[in-house]
Amino acid sequence: MVYYLIICRSLTYAQRTAAALERAGITAHIRRSPRAIDQEGCSHSVKVSERNLRNALLILNRVGLPPKRVFLMKGEGSYEEVLL
Amino acid sequence: MIYLDSAATTMQKPPAVPRAAAYAMTHMASPGRGGHQPAMRAAETAFACRRAAAELFGVSDPERVVFTLNATHGLNIAIRSLVRAGDRVLISGWEHNAVTRPLHGLDAEVVVAGGPLFDRAAQLAAFEQALEDGAKAAICTHVSNVFGFVLPVEEIAGLCRRRGVPFILDASQSAGCLPVRQEQLNAAFIAMPGHKGLYGPQGTGLLLCGEGQPEPLLEGGTGSLSALQTMPDFLPDRLEAGTHNMPGIAGLLEGLRYVRSRGTEAILRRERRLIRQAARGLAALPDLQVYEAENPVDQAGVLSFRVKGMDCEEVGELLGRHGIAVRAGLHCAPTAHQSAGTLETGTVRLSVSDFNTPAEIERLIYVLSRLGRE
Repeated sequence: MVYYLIICRSLTYAQRTAAALERAGITAHIRRSPRAIDQEGCSHSVKVSERNLRNALLILNRVGLPPKRVFLMKGEGSYEEVLL
Repeated sequence: MIYLDSAATTMQKPPAVPRAAAYAMTHMASPGRGGHQPAMRAAETAFACRRAAAELFGVSDPERVVFTLNATHGLNIAIRSLVRAGDRVLISGWEHNAVTRPLHGLDAEVVVAGGPLFDRAAQLAAFEQALEDGAKAAICTHVSNVFGFVLPVEEIAGLCRRRGVPFILDASQSAGCLPVRQEQLNAAFIAMPGHKGLYGPQGTGLLLCGEGQPEPLLEGGTGSLSALQTMPDFLPDRLEAGTHNMPGIAGLLEGLRYVRSRGTEAILRRERRLIRQAARGLAALPDLQVYEAENPVDQAGVLSFRVKGMDCEEVGELLGRHGIAVRAGLHCAPTAHQSAGTLETGTVRLSVSDFNTPAEIERLIYVLSRLGRE
């Protein structure tokens, strides 16, 4: 299954992001960002499924929690940045 | 033990508070420092606590709720973020050393907007006049920790807003029993302890941050932007270096839930009733001078008194021998004693919480009524 990682500037921001998505009925999991995509070292991401990404981005922009960056998690363990 | 020193620390806590603190001690790790379950459990608890505080205090964004060690810690961050040497800063005449010492340490020009005890109109007028000459910041306690005087902070905050002067509120004695709403006050900072009216464990506090970029008092690991050697420029990480006090935060969350379920109005009503009972009873005794507001709305759950011919510490010690815990002396607030004219003698202070009873106040009055006969 394809997932997306919404990179957040802080754990609290990730928690607000996940809470906003859960309120809208979108399953969202918080995890630490993989080092490979975490340029400045240590951040948290919110993981959403492929089918929910579009809605998730709409909701986050609407509630004033725009994502910093979004990455596609590929099956083989690599990541590709999604242009927003 | 009859505990009447809640202005220092509430000792009777809702049972959920120690339970949550004990659970956190063995089940929660460091929030934001790992992806494992104990770290994520801690993260959820910390976030729940921020959200509960944001809701109770009208903060739109839980990221602006910062965990501190106590109100003093928060006030130091607030003051050091806004004030530099030589800056003109307005304070009320009822401030704690948690405000005045950092200002003194910074060599700020401190202007006391003074007024008589329990005179809210005079207090407001004093701030209005002092603001005429401008200020770098205005700092005001919501409730005097010595006399329970409730200051007109909503109005003072409004004056500051109109003048563009950042306002810092010390909510040490009001958080949990009086309305403290950042959405209305629009303060630069609101500092409060977790261990008083919010019924959390000692070693907890909250700093509610308004707009602007506060200066960190501590620098170190935050679990974010670790490759950089500067502190993050976002909250709460900017002000929360080092490992969090998770037992404290877990307990504080339960304290906040208690306050929310009881309602601040109900708590205040109970505390005021006890204070009125104490004031009436003590005022009827010979040789006691009681500092009671004429209008009950001007006083919260704190009452000071003096006994003629006795040192306040002597009275405190005597009450202690009878199993009654009060606090005597200057209460770390010489400015307040200076304002009330009690600097030379100090006072005996009793302060109540939601867990005190009328029977306990009766006992206090009885013991004090026997003073001359011992």
